[in-house]
Amino acid sequence: MSLRAFFNQRQNSQGNSASDVSESSLAFWQLLPAALLLALIVVYPVAKVIHDSLYSISLFSESGPVFVGVANYVDALRDPDVWRAVRFTIALCVVTVPGALLVGLGLALLANREWKWRWPVRLALLLPWALPLAFSGMIFAWFFNTEYGVVNDLLRRAGIAPVSFLLIPQWGFLAICVATIWKTSSFVALILLAGLQTIPRSLYEAAAMEGASRWQSFRHVTLPLLMPAMMVALIFRTISALQSFDIPYAMTQGGPARYTETLSILINTTAIEYMDVGYGSALAVLLFLLSMAVSSVYLRKLYKGAL
Amino acid sequence: MSLPRALRLITLILLVAIAVPAQAETVLRVFIGGAAQRPDLFRTLADRYEASHPGIRIEIGSGAATSELQRKYLSVLLNAHDPSFDALMLDIVNPYQFATAGWIAPLDEYFGEEKQTLLADGLPIYRRTNLIKGRLYTLPAVTDAMFMYYRKDLLAQYGIAPPQTWQELENAAQAILKQENNPALQGLSIQGAPIEGTVCSFLLPYWSQGKDILDSNGKLALDKPAALRSLRLWQGLIDKNVIRRHVAEVKTGDTVNTFKAGNAIFAINWGFAWGVFQNDADSRVKGRVGIIRMPAVQGGEHATCLGGWQWALSNYSRNKAQMADFLRFLASPESVRFITLQGALLPPYLSLYDDAEVQAVIPWLKDAKPALLGAKPRPLTARYAQVSDVLRISTSAVLAGSLTAEEGLEDISRRLERILR
Amino acid sequence: MLKLPLRWIAAAVLLANGFFPALWILLTSFKRDAELAQTPITWWPQHPTLGNYVHAFSDQPLLLFLGNSFAVALLSTLLTLFAATGAAYALTRLRLRRRGLILTVLVAIAMFPPATLLVPLFEIMRGLGLINTYGALVLPYAVQSLPVCTLVLASFFQQVPKDIENAAMLDGCTRLQALYRIVLPLSAPGVFTAGILAFVNAWDEFLLALALNAAPGSRTLPVGILLYQGEFTFPWPVISAALVVAIVPLAILIILFQERVISGLTTGGIKG
Repeated sequence: MSLRAFFNQRQNSQGNSASDVSESSLAFWQLLPAALLLALIVVYPVAKVIHDSLYSISLFSESGPVFVGVANYVDALRDPDVWRAVRFTIALCVVTVPGALLVGLGLALLANREWKWRWPVRLALLLPWALPLAFSGMIFAWFFNTEYGVVNDLLRRAGIAPVSFLLIPQWGFLAICVATIWKTSSFVALILLAGLQTIPRSLYEAAAMEGASRWQSFRHVTLPLLMPAMMVALIFRTISALQSFDIPYAMTQGGPARYTETLSILINTTAIEYMDVGYGSALAVLLFLLSMAVSSVYLRKLYKGAL
Repeated sequence: MSLPRALRLITLILLVAIAVPAQAETVLRVFIGGAAQRPDLFRTLADRYEASHPGIRIEIGSGAATSELQRKYLSVLLNAHDPSFDALMLDIVNPYQFATAGWIAPLDEYFGEEKQTLLADGLPIYRRTNLIKGRLYTLPAVTDAMFMYYRKDLLAQYGIAPPQTWQELENAAQAILKQENNPALQGLSIQGAPIEGTVCSFLLPYWSQGKDILDSNGKLALDKPAALRSLRLWQGLIDKNVIRRHVAEVKTGDTVNTFKAGNAIFAINWGFAWGVFQNDADSRVKGRVGIIRMPAVQGGEHATCLGGWQWALSNYSRNKAQMADFLRFLASPESVRFITLQGALLPPYLSLYDDAEVQAVIPWLKDAKPALLGAKPRPLTARYAQVSDVLRISTSAVLAGSLTAEEGLEDISRRLERILR
Repeated sequence: MLKLPLRWIAAAVLLANGFFPALWILLTSFKRDAELAQTPITWWPQHPTLGNYVHAFSDQPLLLFLGNSFAVALLSTLLTLFAATGAAYALTRLRLRRRGLILTVLVAIAMFPPATLLVPLFEIMRGLGLINTYGALVLPYAVQSLPVCTLVLASFFQQVPKDIENAAMLDGCTRLQALYRIVLPLSAPGVFTAGILAFVNAWDEFLLALALNAAPGSRTLPVGILLYQGEFTFPWPVISAALVVAIVPLAILIILFQERVISGLTTGGIKG
């Protein structure tokens, strides 16, 4: 059952009006727990964030909340720190989303072969997926340590001077990208593996009969049939890359000089650590809009049945 | 088991769990962040208090080791109105913020007359740091300040007098480095990692020019040329290899370890390090440690950074009166004297500076006193967490070379203006 | 078919990518502090020790963190399964207007950045007195997993023939009984898959756990372990030992249920 099918499903069950009533009241009760949870955890908070973003609210100010209209937004758009965080977040998306797709595709193609023992191969895909992001960040921070990291050890062995990866903005960006791609490519690989397994073997056999090379059959059979799965992976990855928090936080805490601060880190620092709630809420709305802009692309595709 | 029976059983268990400890004793929980704050010594004091106060049990809890981690951690906890801790040992930079947020309770009602005695004997600066809007919010646990440590043996060997200005320090370090020709030896070790101590690194040369971050009304009074000179001073020392390039990674403990291993001619650090240099088994500088007040810029003041730790009462404590009584015990001259003697930590009360026994444990006490009397507090503002982040992150980035001094100053000035407007 | 050497290279790449970080942490956890401060670094522990594991459990209440993580993950999984079962049943089996809108809302929630909701969530939980309790995390985690679990369950419910359900109702079952006695047991693999997805989501979460449950007694593993940091050095051997302790239960879980996880991801509405 695909998402598209859900959307296109026709109401085909016929019934008398009595069962209609009981069905819709049952539907109401069945949907109620989910609706209550959503109301409490998402709907009310979203309303509250939008409301707070119009006020100046800080636990550390001598006065109470003051209505300031869109002043927080004006401030945010003028704040170079916000723009830097937006740029960094987008850069992280631009590098890690295609990166994870490529690496994930490679892993999926490797894992899709006939293996005598399937479980080590599968575990190798599942372990990075199940490892908490924060742990991945910590482990890679250790890999990229100047003195004792395994990366610099390899560099030294190759006769290259060690690099303080996490203290130099460009290298810090690279290190965060590597950690993110490693962690997220396994999720992509799992989705693509699922896609690969639905491609009928007969298509490859037919391609081989017509004398297609390995590359040609990949190009003309595998890739087109894998496209829907690639789209799903792409969208899920883009959305979560926009929300990046754990890996950069565990690796650099946004440093050096706040160069590796993502929007989520900036929001957390502003709203939770500094308790500058009004301004933090305005930043949250900005991230919310950015996310929704990307999500709406996904949802539109869903409606059009493009997936 | 039927549901009502199960419920009854659960209720019974809960009742027992709640009622039994409450009858037996009152538990007071004190937060003492990291090992450097010597929870071991305070445990001894707590044991004494428990012995004389039956029915009171004291638990010491720790959270995060560094000042900035503690601030983050306690902020989250207290903002949730969490009663986990009845009292907190706070870095002296934090009470102003915590009091404004209503997280810590004023102590006036528990300390009637005593308030004046405590303040009269305490360092004069405590009138500014511990009295917030006229009310007493904290009691001193230990005091501290940043000092300049130097290798007495090396300076004597080359006939160099302890430097009074940064220029003299630079000359002395360069001369000794050249003649020693020891690749492991550093001229000066300071803190440059984005930690709380780096706020002081920025402020030391800035204060020395007679400037401050806030005016007397708490408004931003950043003097840009002075701030630029401060950043440039450190950059110059890095360029001349008096300070090593990796300074942007150096934390308090790294400086301590470098100097202790005999690998630095000069080192800026807190007073507690003196005991480490003199007493640690693996110290290679025993008996060769000199300590002087902070050098000044040419024609400037010898300003240093006030540190130390304060006791505060959590506003969410359920046993405020009992806790206040324990704090009274902790802040009493006898308790402070015990900590001073056992830990070789600088006492917050002036009377102890004339105590012969204390002088024997801390031989440089008479030199420390004038420096402490002139020590300056870091900006006293409710938004100190943000101010601290701005100063340490930008300073560290300038020291690392990822920002120029001008860019660093621009970041500092722009961010402070937003925070303190 | 690939030639043998190429096969081995492929296998090596896959396994190294999947296992190297975990293996490195495992090796580090057996090293002594002094060995870790050596340059060049050692790869294999020279004098293996279990001392770090002792420290990992004695320096911080690691068992407590483990228990907290487990309780939060389990409770949120149960809650999300309960809510998702109802929603999935309503979406697949009942007459429902605006089915598309409901699905859209669900998917949109899957994409909601948790960072944006930190402050109101904090205030809600504080208002409910749930800060530093399991509840503060169980509720939001259940919501985070709700969309994917609903989609997984819906796709499995869809495969249960309507005739079976109808037959049960002719025998006198109510719809609700039919759901819990017929449809749900027949969809057991789907329930299982959804459960694992929800469990792993909750086990991994860090941002909310840091903001809502930072008190020593209520930290989950990711937060607890990140706060092992000391002032002077990062106690890597001890942290590594703690990480190993944290990873092992999850590794066992996925070794046991790998088939289900893979098939769940294939059917979980994620597939096009």
